[in-house]
Amino acid sequence: MAMENEQDEIVRETKEDTTKDRYLTFEIDNEEYGVDISNVIEIITMSAITWVPETPDFLKGVINLRGSIVPVIDARLRFKKPEKEYDSLTCIIVVEYENYTVGVIVDTVNEVMFIPEDKISLPPNAKLKYQNKFIKSIGKVGKEVQLLLDVDKFLFLD
Amino acid sequence: MADFSRESMLDMFIYEMNQLVEQLEQLIIQGEQGYSMDDINEIFRIMHTIKGSAAMMLYDNVSKTAHSAEDLFFFLREENPQDVDYSTLTDLVLECVDFIKNELAKIEASENSDGNPTDIIARVKAFLAQLKGEAPADAPPAKSEKKTAQVSTKTDSVNQIEAKGTHYNAKIFFEEGCEMESVRAFTLLQNLKEAITDVVTIPADVVADGSEEIIKKDGFQISFFSEKTYDEISELIDQTVYLKEFELSSGNLKNYKVVLFFEEGCEMENVRAYTVIHNLQGYCTNIKHEPEDIIDEAATEIIRKNGFKFTFSTDKSYDEVSKDLCNTVFLKAIDIEEVAAEKEAEKQEENEIKEDLKTASEPVNVQGNNVGSDTAGQAQPIKNQSVQKTQKPSQPAASSAAAQKKAAPTQHMISVNIGKLDQLLNLMGELVIAEAMTTQNPDLEGLDLENFNKSARQLRKIINDVQDTVMSMRMVSLSTTFFKMNRIVRDMCKNLGKDVQLEVVGEETEVDKNIIEHLSDPLMHIIRNSVDHGIEMPDERKAIGKPEKGTVLLEARNAGGEVIIIVKDDGQGLDTQKIFNKAKENGLLKKPENEYTEREIHQFIFHPGLSTNDQVTNYSGRGVGMDVVMNNIETVGGTISVESEKGEGTTNILKIPLTLAIVEGMLIKMGGAKYTIPISSIQETFKAKQDQVFKDPDGNEMLTLRGDVYNIVRLYDFFGAKSEVTNIEEGVLIMLENEGQHVCLFVDELIGEQQVVVKTMPGYINRVKGISGCTLLGNGDISLIIDVGGFFDK
Repeated sequence: MAMENEQDEIVRETKEDTTKDRYLTFEIDNEEYGVDISNVIEIITMSAITWVPETPDFLKGVINLRGSIVPVIDARLRFKKPEKEYDSLTCIIVVEYENYTVGVIVDTVNEVMFIPEDKISLPPNAKLKYQNKFIKSIGKVGKEVQLLLDVDKFLFLD
Repeated sequence: MADFSRESMLDMFIYEMNQLVEQLEQLIIQGEQGYSMDDINEIFRIMHTIKGSAAMMLYDNVSKTAHSAEDLFFFLREENPQDVDYSTLTDLVLECVDFIKNELAKIEASENSDGNPTDIIARVKAFLAQLKGEAPADAPPAKSEKKTAQVSTKTDSVNQIEAKGTHYNAKIFFEEGCEMESVRAFTLLQNLKEAITDVVTIPADVVADGSEEIIKKDGFQISFFSEKTYDEISELIDQTVYLKEFELSSGNLKNYKVVLFFEEGCEMENVRAYTVIHNLQGYCTNIKHEPEDIIDEAATEIIRKNGFKFTFSTDKSYDEVSKDLCNTVFLKAIDIEEVAAEKEAEKQEENEIKEDLKTASEPVNVQGNNVGSDTAGQAQPIKNQSVQKTQKPSQPAASSAAAQKKAAPTQHMISVNIGKLDQLLNLMGELVIAEAMTTQNPDLEGLDLENFNKSARQLRKIINDVQDTVMSMRMVSLSTTFFKMNRIVRDMCKNLGKDVQLEVVGEETEVDKNIIEHLSDPLMHIIRNSVDHGIEMPDERKAIGKPEKGTVLLEARNAGGEVIIIVKDDGQGLDTQKIFNKAKENGLLKKPENEYTEREIHQFIFHPGLSTNDQVTNYSGRGVGMDVVMNNIETVGGTISVESEKGEGTTNILKIPLTLAIVEGMLIKMGGAKYTIPISSIQETFKAKQDQVFKDPDGNEMLTLRGDVYNIVRLYDFFGAKSEVTNIEEGVLIMLENEGQHVCLFVDELIGEQQVVVKTMPGYINRVKGISGCTLLGNGDISLIIDVGGFFDK
């Protein structure tokens, strides 16, 4: 028993080490966002979406991810941005958060970026724009700025 | 380590206990009118097992409670007293059962089992004392302990005892770690008491300090006389809880010790020694020899050097034995010595422990051989004469006692983790889909594949069979759920002063395990309602000419893909006016008052907060209940309706799907998407003509068919989707039935029938009205499954 726990601990530690301070960056409407990589399960290309009635419009429907049914959200619609036709660059980032697995449709996925904690600052207090609601913090890498997504609010707000 | 093994046993313990408690409850309720001897024995046995298991898992409070109840039934069994107040007795025992149940629930929830049974135990003891006609102060266990002390102090020498039946020696080993060996030994003695006389035990006083150690180390040894046969005694001992193994030998035994030398140069001493032992086996027990393994070559040397030493017990005289042994071929010298039983036992201790360890490590179940039976051909005689029981503590002790009575190695039931069954079912679902994906692969289109189709058909057949088997594995009969209701009816009758009998029909009907879990609560609510609201008081019933005893009928039967469960009472029925007024008060009316039919009004009882009983009783009247019932039933995809005739009674009808997992569906197309409608809800499909269709002033579309008028629901309207097919003559109409109501659903086209595996919608999506789940089609697309009930909700 104790042994197993120890091993678990080790596994968890190494896992944390490889995912700590790492963010997957993606683009929506020419702006770059980041999501904590520990929330990301995988990135898949666009697949057939089945529309589900009586759902908010940003919830595009469900997809078949190797036998499991996964709901997908269009990030553009979630950010109240104009809808764009899906193309070859369009990706679905499958995120897992509190036992919910949800796909997020983004314009394109860029890279995994290392952003140390001291380079991350909170967003400005004044919530002028609607999309601020979904932003947890802002990371700075060189001259570029990444808007880091608050997965909880992104999925569950309203 | 100790903790770890306990953890792994806990599941088994809880499972086993729950079963025992259920069984017990049933027996007690059946027996309330007077217990048969069989019942008493059975209850005693169950209590005993509970006590033992709980003690082993160190749940002392449970163990003590069971112990007190066991005492009670022990008395009933032994003394068979007349004029027992069975009603009080049943109450008391049920209280014990409730206590145990409660503690089990705590244990199951990983809480501390901290209930204090002192009060209930005291009451059980008081009742027992009363039965015995004693002052309540005299606690029963103390008394019986005294009795045993007397029994076991009769340490007369075996030889002096005049034969009363056959003499037996038994040596019992309990499971390691079962704890309280002395109590177990004591219980064993109690169990045997009526069958045996002139008992001598080692240790002499089982309850004395230190005896536990002896029993642990050397086993519990009893020598006694009995008129019963070897098999009967063996069976009695075999019923002991946590028995690891026991040896039983019969006859007025004498113990002999022999040292035997073969002639030098005769060779193959070990084989000769084996022959000697083999011959002895015909009439001797407890044969021990040195060297132990005589088949081994090394044994030859030892025998040559030290002689072949062996001990055995038999009822034959010295002369007979001597004569027999002297016939051995190539015998050089022999020394036969008769030894007293107890001394011998001590001497043998060490050997035996060794042997026990050896045999215990080999999971062989040797049949309990009657002494003197022919054992020729046994290669390893050493294992022969002891009846062994290598029972793991985690096995359900209750059932094993009965099932393994004959030490038969076959077991017909195994218990499987439900998680594994769920997984199997999921895999099954994927297999069904994969099969469809393969055989209906678009690549195959237009090809002439005679052989492929043949194989595909064969594959489909096998998959169907496997699927049926998997489904049947998950089927559980409703009997446990139904019999639980006995208890509820009984308790309520007692408290409310009503006289109600529960009639159970078709309890053998089987339903998927997942569904059964959701049935218990709703049924309980409905039955409570029937007894509390429905059935009148006995004098009231008499006054209106009904039999004083009310009846609640609980019936289950299969109907196609569904199970129908009916709860019917012959009480006063629903008060339509009262329900209607309540519904009005609560603002539940949705259409003009005079448009409500009686049937519709009755269905209001399923709305939250509507109780027609003015008085809140222990059981009902708080207005929660029927809506909970409704919710529970809906969770499993079932429906409930109520029919009632004033003064005649009420009938609740539950329709439950047999299984949640696989549904026979009709695939239809609407817009760009494919939807699945459960075949069981479809009455017919047809094309409509424009002149059949008309609209009411509110714009509701209707259709006449064979003289009846039906509402039309356009699926795209209902879901707020878009479809190219809007002309009623182009699409297809599907008549759906739900709880006796009908509606015609308008869809683009029918695709075909298909068995689909139901998957739940992801939790992230809130419950969608009109959708009950989804399924994967052969090509990997998702098809939403339509919840027909959704079209009838207003």
